[in-house]
Amino acid sequence: MTGSSLRWVDWKLAPRAMLRESAGRFLLLFLLGLFFASLLLSGGMNRYLSDQWPVTAVLRLSVPPAEGQGIAGKAAGLPGVLSAAYRDPEASWKEFLAAYPGTESLRAAGGNPLPGYVEVRLRPETFTEGGIRAVASVLQPLPQVEKILSGGDALSRQLRAREWVNAILWGAFAFLCACSFSIFRLQEKARTALLSTDLEFLRERGVPARSIVASRASGAVLAGLLLSLAAMGAAVSALSLLETRLPLFTRLIGRAGDLLTLPILVPAALFLFASALGAGAASFLGWRAAQSGRK
Amino acid sequence: MIEAFRVGAVSRGGTLWDGLDLAFDDGEVCVVTGPPASGKTLLLRILRGDRRPDAGDVVVGGESLYRGNAGVARAFQASSGVVPEEFPSSGGDTVRDRFRLSSVAGDGISAKERRRREEELLSMVGMQDAQGSRFSSLSISEKARVSLAAELLRGPKVLFADMLFHNAGGEWTDMLGGLIRALAKEGKTVLLAERAMPERWRLREPGEGIVKGPFRLFRLTSKGEASR
Repeated sequence: MTGSSLRWVDWKLAPRAMLRESAGRFLLLFLLGLFFASLLLSGGMNRYLSDQWPVTAVLRLSVPPAEGQGIAGKAAGLPGVLSAAYRDPEASWKEFLAAYPGTESLRAAGGNPLPGYVEVRLRPETFTEGGIRAVASVLQPLPQVEKILSGGDALSRQLRAREWVNAILWGAFAFLCACSFSIFRLQEKARTALLSTDLEFLRERGVPARSIVASRASGAVLAGLLLSLAAMGAAVSALSLLETRLPLFTRLIGRAGDLLTLPILVPAALFLFASALGAGAASFLGWRAAQSGRK
Repeated sequence: MIEAFRVGAVSRGGTLWDGLDLAFDDGEVCVVTGPPASGKTLLLRILRGDRRPDAGDVVVGGESLYRGNAGVARAFQASSGVVPEEFPSSGGDTVRDRFRLSSVAGDGISAKERRRREEELLSMVGMQDAQGSRFSSLSISEKARVSLAAELLRGPKVLFADMLFHNAGGEWTDMLGGLIRALAKEGKTVLLAERAMPERWRLREPGEGIVKGPFRLFRLTSKGEASR
């Protein structure tokens, strides 16, 4: 008896059942991969909040545009800052008019009453009260800066709510993983029961039960790795497609291209290996459950 | 050589037999006959290391199957073939699946080699072109012959066949007899358990056999002669 032939014994003896199960597993892993990749990209609510809540440094009326640009450049170089843009008083006035139409008369009295400002956007992962304070502490002492607007109490409430929402999202992901594992284990148990006569046949012909179990589990690990790779690839393709079709997607989830960065590739690789090991463990536990069911 | 020393078995609270001494040489065909429920199947299981006897021991090539390394029994089982009396349904449904499973149990049989020998062996037992047939749709005779062919795929040194002739039916006695003698000529040991000696063998090889507990033992040399 060879290890490799034993490894794929389920595929040899029950190819249709294996195909059905694999299709189901692929679908589950695809959904899990989609969820996981979206969570990694968005950081839960992090990306949405950081997109919605910029830190604004309102400049004094006398600050010339060149200095405003300089402050924006300085802010952009701060750690944890995604972007910083200067808006001169004219742009500021236009935005004001767009937000509050019919207020043109305010300017008639004596020129533009609005100052320029620097809008700083933090990276989703550094968009915390500490991160905001760090940026504010650099900008606030500057003589050109009138004041810093960073959301105040409203933002603090949002940040606390974000923690809960993120915990719920990751909890839902863990729950789905546990459900998938239970489904895999039940599939393995049912298949072991289906093949019990064949496995007994092998045992009667001198193939040790532990070799059968170990080989089937190693086959499940390999198949699981290939399946989760394919499912993750499909999930990334689906995210890329969504990105091109739905502009809102990038604001909520992020760019699919960012998946190829190290902070995302490492957990994604861990997810693949965990899926493969989970498939192996399900094979072993399913076999054990089938054995205890026979007794 | 397979030797059983003072072997005893208990089943359903009663002693089936006790103190059986048996020995089987290489290249020997031996038919164990006995009435229903006398424990023929149990005897074969004990002789092949699959069920520990309630008394005594079985020794193969000088090593005990039950009192020592478990690997001895497994190695012996790996080098033997079994044609069972009953054929429960299994996951692998076709005749080809039976061969596939047998090749998994056998060491290093390639898929190409398996397919070639599958055809040969099936035609030897009168089941040519049956590879794609559903095993469950076959008659008992066909199942028995397919099972024999699938076991022969691995080239076992010892073949245990439980009610093979009975299940295969009278019309296959000569063909199976010839096949089993050919195996014995190759030095393989064949142990058959039957309710009675097949009728045609009885005509050709008269004799009452040796009484061993509830059984009668008929030995045939590789030349096909009955001996005591």
